[in-house]
Amino acid sequence: MILQTALLIGVVIFSVLAILLRDLLKSAIALAAASLLLGIIFFRMNAPYAGVFEISVVAGLITVLFVLTIALTKTGEEVRESRLVKWAFPLVFIAFIVVDALVMKSLLGQVPALAAGAESGSFGEVLWRARTYDLVGQIAVILAGVFSVLALFRKREKHD
Amino acid sequence: MTNTWYLYVFFAAALIGAGLLGLLAKRNLIKLFIAIEVIGKGISLLLLGTGFAKASILTAQALVITYIVIEVSLVATALALIINITRHTKSLDVRNLAKLKG
Repeated sequence: MILQTALLIGVVIFSVLAILLRDLLKSAIALAAASLLLGIIFFRMNAPYAGVFEISVVAGLITVLFVLTIALTKTGEEVRESRLVKWAFPLVFIAFIVVDALVMKSLLGQVPALAAGAESGSFGEVLWRARTYDLVGQIAVILAGVFSVLALFRKREKHD
Repeated sequence: MTNTWYLYVFFAAALIGAGLLGLLAKRNLIKLFIAIEVIGKGISLLLLGTGFAKASILTAQALVITYIVIEVSLVATALALIINITRHTKSLDVRNLAKLKG
């Protein structure tokens, strides 16, 4: 429980760093570190498949995509952030955490009790039998992503 | 069991809050997208934490895997858009997109 809490705090710290750091490369790496810690949390929650996906896909592939984009969009001039952000962001975030700590417990008490039917079988059965339509949706989304990237990077034809 | 649930929901809300604040405050396009990623992390933590507390971790896991797959194609599309926008406006500043004149 203590280790889990420490890991969760690490995830939040790395995520906030990813938003706050000025250097884009550093913030991409901080995002990857947060994903790595989140994957370890998933492993400790008895969700190994989600953990593997989180570490390999989110911490690996998405970080590579981010680094590639940062390299491709180097313009030389830095985007000027507003000065207000530098001290307002941490203050508002701490205020948010305090409100979160005060309110969340009573909010959770108001959630009607979910039907907690014990699951049986393995993960594969749940994924392939109970959630078949999710998989169809996933295939459709991946196809849509491929086509959109193709559409965004198409070459201009000669007669245009 | 409620205490574990509380722990996960608390940190998920913190992640989502940080992402929303980042979306409000930042001007760099890539930073905005990183904030969206942080919100996504909060959502997947929320899903798995609730599944863990309510003893239905397998369904939660299936949902999270679906989410991660969708996230990848979202990231690919959005980053391609960002590259194209940068080529047009020659900067990563989101305020340049508000100009209606091409």
